[in-house]
Amino acid sequence: MPPIDSTNEDYVKKNMLSSSIEDKRLFKSRIQRFKTTHRLYIYLMGSLAVLQIIAIAFFARGFLLTRTVLENVATGADHEARFSKCVILVIDALRFDFSIPVDPADNAFNSYFHNNLDVLHTSFNNATSETHSSLLLKFIADPPTTTLQRLKGLTTGSLPTFIDAGSNFNGAVIEEDNLIKQMFLNNQSVLFAGDDTWDNLFNPFLSPASQPFESLNVWDLDTVDNGVIRFFEDNLFAKSEKSEEWDVLIGHMLGIDHVGHKYGPNHFTMKEKQLQANEFIKRICESIDDDTLLVVMGDHGMDHTGNHGGDSKSELEAALWLHSKRPNMWSHLPEQFYDISALGENYRQVNQIDLVPTLSLLLGLPIPFNNLGWPIQEVAATQEQLRSYSKIALDQIKAYKDISRVITAAEKNERLNELLNESLEDILQASEYQKIFLESCKDLWARFDYFSIATGIILLTASLVLLITITKLIPSIVVGQMVTELVPSITIMALVSNVCFIGIFHVLHQPKFLENWIWCSLLATAVGIIVGCFIPLFDRYNFAWITVKFIEDLSDYWSRIAAMCVTLHALLFTSNSFTIWEDKIVSFLLATLGMLTLYEFVFLPKRKLTTALLSAAMGEKRGSSSSNASSSSETESSPLGKFARFVGSYHSIVLIACTRISSMITICREEQGEYCTPTFTTANNYSPWCLSLCLVLVAYLPSLIKGYYNVCSSYQAAAPIWIGQFLKFVLLGNFVYWTVCAMENTVPTWSWDVKIFKLTLSRIIAGFSLVAANIGWLMGPLCVKINIHNNDVKSQQATILGYANAYGSQYFLLILNFFMCIMLFNKPMAQLSLSLMCTQLLSMLEIFDLLKLKENLIGPVSMGLLAYQQFFSTGHQATIPAVQWDIGFILTERITFPFTHLGIVLNTFGPHIIVALSVALLTLWKQPPSVLKPQTLLARIVSNCGMLLIYNTVLCLSSFVWVTHFRRHLMVWKIFCPRFMFASLSLIVTQVIVTLVTIAFASGRLIRQINTIFPS
Amino acid sequence: MPPRMRVAPKKTVSFSDDENMTRARQLNSKKHQTDIYGPPVYVKKSLLTVPVHLVALLYYYIKLSEDFDDVRLLYGLIPMQIAYLAAQFNRSTVYGHKILKLKLSLVPISLGAALLLTLPCMLIIILMGAPVRMLLRETWLLAAHCCFLAFPAVYSVFNCDFKVGIFKKYFISIAIGCWISCIVIPLDWDRDWQQWPTPLIVGAYAGAFVGYSLCPYL
Repeated sequence: MPPIDSTNEDYVKKNMLSSSIEDKRLFKSRIQRFKTTHRLYIYLMGSLAVLQIIAIAFFARGFLLTRTVLENVATGADHEARFSKCVILVIDALRFDFSIPVDPADNAFNSYFHNNLDVLHTSFNNATSETHSSLLLKFIADPPTTTLQRLKGLTTGSLPTFIDAGSNFNGAVIEEDNLIKQMFLNNQSVLFAGDDTWDNLFNPFLSPASQPFESLNVWDLDTVDNGVIRFFEDNLFAKSEKSEEWDVLIGHMLGIDHVGHKYGPNHFTMKEKQLQANEFIKRICESIDDDTLLVVMGDHGMDHTGNHGGDSKSELEAALWLHSKRPNMWSHLPEQFYDISALGENYRQVNQIDLVPTLSLLLGLPIPFNNLGWPIQEVAATQEQLRSYSKIALDQIKAYKDISRVITAAEKNERLNELLNESLEDILQASEYQKIFLESCKDLWARFDYFSIATGIILLTASLVLLITITKLIPSIVVGQMVTELVPSITIMALVSNVCFIGIFHVLHQPKFLENWIWCSLLATAVGIIVGCFIPLFDRYNFAWITVKFIEDLSDYWSRIAAMCVTLHALLFTSNSFTIWEDKIVSFLLATLGMLTLYEFVFLPKRKLTTALLSAAMGEKRGSSSSNASSSSETESSPLGKFARFVGSYHSIVLIACTRISSMITICREEQGEYCTPTFTTANNYSPWCLSLCLVLVAYLPSLIKGYYNVCSSYQAAAPIWIGQFLKFVLLGNFVYWTVCAMENTVPTWSWDVKIFKLTLSRIIAGFSLVAANIGWLMGPLCVKINIHNNDVKSQQATILGYANAYGSQYFLLILNFFMCIMLFNKPMAQLSLSLMCTQLLSMLEIFDLLKLKENLIGPVSMGLLAYQQFFSTGHQATIPAVQWDIGFILTERITFPFTHLGIVLNTFGPHIIVALSVALLTLWKQPPSVLKPQTLLARIVSNCGMLLIYNTVLCLSSFVWVTHFRRHLMVWKIFCPRFMFASLSLIVTQVIVTLVTIAFASGRLIRQINTIFPS
Repeated sequence: MPPRMRVAPKKTVSFSDDENMTRARQLNSKKHQTDIYGPPVYVKKSLLTVPVHLVALLYYYIKLSEDFDDVRLLYGLIPMQIAYLAAQFNRSTVYGHKILKLKLSLVPISLGAALLLTLPCMLIIILMGAPVRMLLRETWLLAAHCCFLAFPAVYSVFNCDFKVGIFKKYFISIAIGCWISCIVIPLDWDRDWQQWPTPLIVGAYAGAFVGYSLCPYL
């Protein structure tokens, strides 16, 4: 069947109307073939998606440790308080060896940080005297050794994890039972000064007279310390009535920690800060009375560079010092336990969480419910006391174990019960029980699982190689034939490896890090998919060919630019500064791309055709062996005309300008500090100017899209209904919804209850755009019209308006459906940004169409950049507090499973979803029917989708590697870990949308329909 | 041989060589295009074009001056660029097999043109992400530095029949210098030289230095 020149519409029409039976049969079989290939493609992409999701699951399992937080609060302490008052001084990063005497002859001796803080050990050494009792211990922290996690551990007595499931995410008030809460509940007034992390964590429990200080600025060594000292001056040293107003006085000094971060420990300022702290502690000792307990401790240590956060020995070891003016309060162990030689390597050590039950017992408070620590043995003055303390602590831990049911393994439970019975007979054995219980909990919660992390990284790398090979390196024509081999091979290999792995796992219990058969099966499936893909691949190609092809593919200018963008973006995660400023960097890159295309249009440098285009043209030749391909390749190689270049420049400028304007909308992240002024604020969102701009959008956006449609005169048939009516009305409803919201928020005298109205409106919009409009789209809304513009009845002359963009115009309607819904779930400022995104997207499509870069890497990459740029400019940042949780309540009042989550997903990943859909448009936009075979079209769409996935996978992989590398970094839980979670989630979202919607749902349907109407 | 007058009726501003391209493809010839079209314009490959003064200025800016004063640097740059044009760059520019003398009347015109160019240049910098409302003076100074760094190229464009194609690589090298130097802006080192627009000015100078030195070889 001869291919039709797209301009020869007369012929097309004739062909449409009078196809013979033979043609019909041929056509039917062709559509059937397409259907089969399409199904196989879905299966192939689906299994790659599964592989990536498994990789992410493994990595997350190894990196993100979870623990369920119970909200139970312990009550009723029946033991007597031994101290009525308490002064707690936390010296951030007080490493243990700072506090003990070090022999100057020792190799490790350093006068900047040794022997300066001598008060602790001196008084401990003299503790046998009758004037006071004092106890210095090595205090072992649980990693991660960051201040926030440590404070949680020090007060709850529990182990830290990144996600304390059930509690609040954003470092806000601890809901879990804790020491400070117990003090508060038992009517003790807690006065605090120092690091404002305390204020965030314990604000409701602290006395209003507390004085938190900004802790972020590590360059500032003195503000916090001087503030704490002044505060103690007022409330303790002055001996005024103020010193009677508190029961617990807490100070948290940051100077030593900040010196560590700024200069490292080996610096003279360290000595100054230590001497200052020493002096301060001495003064506190002098001022407290007999009923006051003084606790001085470090929350963590520091490594040789002065940083902390990880789990090296020097970071974990801090000092703990308990002091009282009353003699004989502690019962010391024999001398050899307190061995200070070799920087106190063999010194007696206690766990940080042990402080919680210890303090509770000393102050007569109930032990916090979640506590896992054990009272420090020395604080019990007599054997009698030790027994009673052990009993209380045992009861608490047993209660926690019974209620939380954390230990699921049967043999562990048995062992614990055995120990429990032993300890009930001899209560002094109980610490053994706690030790085993703590070990088991640690195993569950607090260790990075490096095997899982490595598995995740390896699997994701393999998936990246597969994606690159299958979607980009192998010519799409060949892939079309290969899917018939790939799919059965994947299926068989997945089954085989499942059988093997599960068999090995059951018989040998190997590999060890797999907990149960589910993980085993996941790993087996992943391996099966990888092997199943590689077998047919290596059947045809070898490694050398793949490498050569990879280098060849990167040989043209635009592909190199694309590769550079991807590389630069992936390298951002190598530094916290770049990750912090990702929003600006991404829009900078996008603007750069705009500038490059502008340059291309203005100067039109001599540049060879892209290899992708050549191979596409060659594939065409091979496919149909007609003159069409060569003629089209000729038209493709001819330079752009003046008008085309003008239009292209215009679109480039539009792209750059829209990028710049939308990048002005930002919710700054905390770390950007003074260099960023947030514009995405509640005030701006609900301001009249912003809402009136939204009203302008109602009219402007449809006409803008109409303008883009009119380029190919595609604004026909379904387009006016969709764009002129659906979009307009949804935007109007949207505007009404957000205006009402704004009124509620800004008008102080607002008294109407509009809840029902808002819910109804939002449900109508969401239901219409997500369900009704998509069903409507399934009916196949064509954007073409037959225009018979002559009166001569005999003549069969007719033009099909919108023929040139039949694919693209219809596909864009689908994007509009999602766009309408995403608009609803975004605040007004973000809506402005999203409408700019619409413009950027359409301009981008025009640019790549004009430059004939439809098959090039640059298209999907710039769309990926667009998604990230818009993610940031719709009021998001890659941090957990920046998630717009309130959006979840647009559809429902309470948290209801799919609807709340749908809202948050559409809000957070809106730009990613739009881009994952639009990437097919790179192929379909301005693609006239009957030029390319259906399979070719589909293969090209898959290839472009593949590039978008490659982009996201590279980012995800890079974030995996760097978050693992930086697992000891100070900022890992604040910057790198959220970014890794965001990268994983955006990869998953892109995968799901690309596979299920773009390839499975939309492309197949569209190509089949258009080919039925315009058969070639 | 008298200096060739620029022929008025044929003078058009061409921003591209697209006609050349078409023709070249049509003829399917790999001949040098200059054979078909007008006299060849190129910059001689010689050490003369190396702009040593830029290194000196940069050294002064980074090491000697304490406060990274952009205005003083600009005052230093403009006369030095004129001298560089007269003594070095113009002497290496070959137009129709000969080197043109410096046209003194054209110098102020191209200086004015460079000054005018600061506005679009500033617009581009802002479009690439410079702050819109704040620091406008600094942004303009950066644009001015860029434009006066490109001044010899601007002059040559005027002088050589608006053959932009030959000289655009000089502009590009300055732009690339600026583009790359943006890397240091987000780093949290809190140094004075990270202030806007110091790193970009340094980048522009470095780009210009590399550009003027190496572009004849490209």
